[in-house]
Amino acid sequence: MRDNYPDEIHPREVANKSSKESLQKAIRMALRIESDALRLNTQTFNANRYTAVGKLEDYEELKDRAREIKESSIRNLPDLIERLTRAVESRGGRVFLAKTKKEATDYIQSVCQSSGARLVVKAKSITSEEIGINHVLQDVGIEVAETDLAEFILQVSNEQPSHIVAPAIHRSRERISKLFKEHFKTEKSLDTGEELTEFARDILREKFLAADVGITGANLVSADEGTILLVESEGNIRLTTQLPAVHIAIAGIEKIIPSRKNFGTFIELLAASGTGQPLSSYTNILEPPLDLPVLNLNGREDTKREFHLVLLDNGRMKMREDPDLKEALYCVRCSACMNVCATFQAVGGHAFGGECYTGGIGGAWTVGTTGKLEDGRFAELCTGCTRCVPNCPVRIDIPRLNTVIKERLMKSEGGASLEKRFFGNFSAMAKFASLAPTLSNWINNLSASRTILENVASVDKRRKLPSFSKKTLVREYEEYRKKNAPPFGSQAMPRRLVLFADVFTNYQNAKVGMATVRVFEKLDLPITLSKVMDDGRSAQSQGLLDSARKSAVRLAVYLKKLIDDGVDIIVAEPSVLSMFRLDYGRLLDAEGVFSALKSHTFDPVEWLNGFADRNSDFANRLESRMKPAARPPEIFYHAHCQMKTIGAGTAAPEFFRRLGLKVETSNVECCGMAGSFGYKKEYYDISKNIGRDLGRQIEKSIQSNASVIVLASGTSCREQIHGELSRNVQHPIELIDELL
Amino acid sequence: MPGTDLIERFLAAAASTTASVETVQRDDEALNDALLRSAGDGPIIFASAGDVDPNLFSRFRENEKVISHPTIDEMKTIRVGVTDAFCGIASTGSVCVSIGRELNGPVSSLTRKHIAVLDGNTIVPRPRDVFSEEYLGGKGLRRSFSFITGPSATADMGPLVRGVHGPGKLHIIVLV
Repeated sequence: MRDNYPDEIHPREVANKSSKESLQKAIRMALRIESDALRLNTQTFNANRYTAVGKLEDYEELKDRAREIKESSIRNLPDLIERLTRAVESRGGRVFLAKTKKEATDYIQSVCQSSGARLVVKAKSITSEEIGINHVLQDVGIEVAETDLAEFILQVSNEQPSHIVAPAIHRSRERISKLFKEHFKTEKSLDTGEELTEFARDILREKFLAADVGITGANLVSADEGTILLVESEGNIRLTTQLPAVHIAIAGIEKIIPSRKNFGTFIELLAASGTGQPLSSYTNILEPPLDLPVLNLNGREDTKREFHLVLLDNGRMKMREDPDLKEALYCVRCSACMNVCATFQAVGGHAFGGECYTGGIGGAWTVGTTGKLEDGRFAELCTGCTRCVPNCPVRIDIPRLNTVIKERLMKSEGGASLEKRFFGNFSAMAKFASLAPTLSNWINNLSASRTILENVASVDKRRKLPSFSKKTLVREYEEYRKKNAPPFGSQAMPRRLVLFADVFTNYQNAKVGMATVRVFEKLDLPITLSKVMDDGRSAQSQGLLDSARKSAVRLAVYLKKLIDDGVDIIVAEPSVLSMFRLDYGRLLDAEGVFSALKSHTFDPVEWLNGFADRNSDFANRLESRMKPAARPPEIFYHAHCQMKTIGAGTAAPEFFRRLGLKVETSNVECCGMAGSFGYKKEYYDISKNIGRDLGRQIEKSIQSNASVIVLASGTSCREQIHGELSRNVQHPIELIDELL
Repeated sequence: MPGTDLIERFLAAAASTTASVETVQRDDEALNDALLRSAGDGPIIFASAGDVDPNLFSRFRENEKVISHPTIDEMKTIRVGVTDAFCGIASTGSVCVSIGRELNGPVSSLTRKHIAVLDGNTIVPRPRDVFSEEYLGGKGLRRSFSFITGPSATADMGPLVRGVHGPGKLHIIVLV
């Protein structure tokens, strides 16, 4: 069925992305055919999730509890498997622990055959995709009917799932209509969602009434009672588990939690994080074999219900022993990490995914269950923007998992490529280039050198590289200090202030650094400049973790001393601030140092806003400190992805509102540039696709007010917006500098 | 004894799931009238797990349209089903319907319209409370059941469509 993919690529052909070529092909296919439907559908889920979790009063506590339960369950897994086996068997069910896919499919095949099954109805289960049960049964002449409508579509189109909760999320209604009309050769009009649903339902109702065996997955399984929790909205799981006399449930061993009482922690979290509902239409709590009498609507004369629980290992016990990949076992498969991910919104799981596991969390799962590192190559599409981190109901650091996969893959393939070294060692490169910035910028923009860069370091030719400041921040600061003594300072200042001279600000954004110094001192808040030091961000983004760790340790020692001396550290570049407040937690092996950094590093506007919160005199004086203006500016602000994650994303809009200004904000999760990601030739098109999404929002704002001032805190966000709209984009602190 | 507050919250939440919902006096005549009105024409399959006082259904059960022991053909074709529910959830407007020896499970899944009868005294604040010994005497910890929240629905075919494999209509009668 290639007709819906006019390009020569069908998703199945590129489901395995162990080669770079298949990853590239998959990206091209997804951007061309699937992107519009993906963006609409994932962004709807994403918006609904924010609303739903906003209504959970104890959302953060629930996440903590869910994480604790999953951690202890994985720790005690062998014991839980024993308890679960006893509970199911005491009710007359059977438990089969399958070490491999083959053991699982052999067992399921033998159950189906011994019950004389000709037709199996199946509910959506990614674990069943993992073992490939459909083909095994079909090969021995047993028909398998996928009953979830999305899986039904995929069975017709022969595609793999593109999303773990909504597997056909990549198909618009129009593409489903076209597919069904061609496949079913029906006279019926299939041009609305209602018509398509009714058509599929009628076909599947016949299957339900005739089925011999029902196969489901399980969202969670409780060890003490042998209860399975199954969430759905269509009602197909209810029919699959109640109509046929034989029910087989396939569950990864990581789905086991101690008791049914624990379901209370997950039930609301799962629904809110997944589809963004208070609860899905049906949350089924089942202790099979059910007491319900056998219905025999299929005309059989079965007298007894059978239940088989197939617990799948297939690499999970090995993941449990892996200090990094173990994290993935906590996943509850809600899909929040996919819906919130800007890359996923653009290309979905046919590009950002493997044969069954998709999105940010999919890399670790694919590597863990196939045992092949190269199968997780699509982890490269994780930009490290971190938007998934605060939205994961079990607090998995997904970008970290992907960094680990990138690192292992790189090592297994003989070390860092030139491209990775180019992007990963920004600090050394910038230091060298800034010896003669004018010359460097000139070379940077020469067509010949762009071609060389594209060939050697995969820097896309169409991107303009950020230019180097004529003078470094350190030099500008020295000159400024010669002319300006620090102000006396406010009594209310809790701690002294030091602006951290990160490599980006020092070499490329000296003007942002200087604006920061001037703003603070105009407000009588003396500030000094730190040494220039590498923070490890660029190395980490390329999976060069050893190098990142070294930089992190050196810098943390330096900053911790400043903090111990009573200093708050101001960081103008959000991705660097995010290193201190998020990534250093993993990179440093010292909880005390990390927690000091986490609580004493601030974005400049965040610090000012926080100071104004605690100091009413300062807050009250702010508006009067502004220069008189004929017309107060109106602002469009795009918060940097990582700033949102560390909780600093709302500070700038709040501060501008204190100044009496009108601020509109973007709801785009990440600009798509994500540091070096958007500069790479392989990912340029994804990055531009995401950038256009942000561009459209800003254009809308400009249409209603042409003089709107566009602000973004991140260097790469500013590059991206500038590239989209050819419009001047400032750091918020630069505008404040102009206003004061 | 839950206050009227829980019932009010339940009614509002259930309506927001696009279920229809009404309160009816805890009385067999009143319940019978409400059930027949909501079920419309045609036969009705009735299943009760004893979660709502069985005496309240005595009038309804006598009606000739009401089938308590359906044949296989009736199970396959009947469009309206009535079941009791063992609790309701105030925050989500869900009803919890048992799946046990009686036919509550299939009657609430196979039909096109499901009418659930809920005793207003069995409404708990949140879904998680069903898994607590404090509520309902721990009933929710010892049975198979489904939280039913509105009619069955899908967005897999593009726009949101109500009425897929499960009922397209859910009517809830809260006994007060």
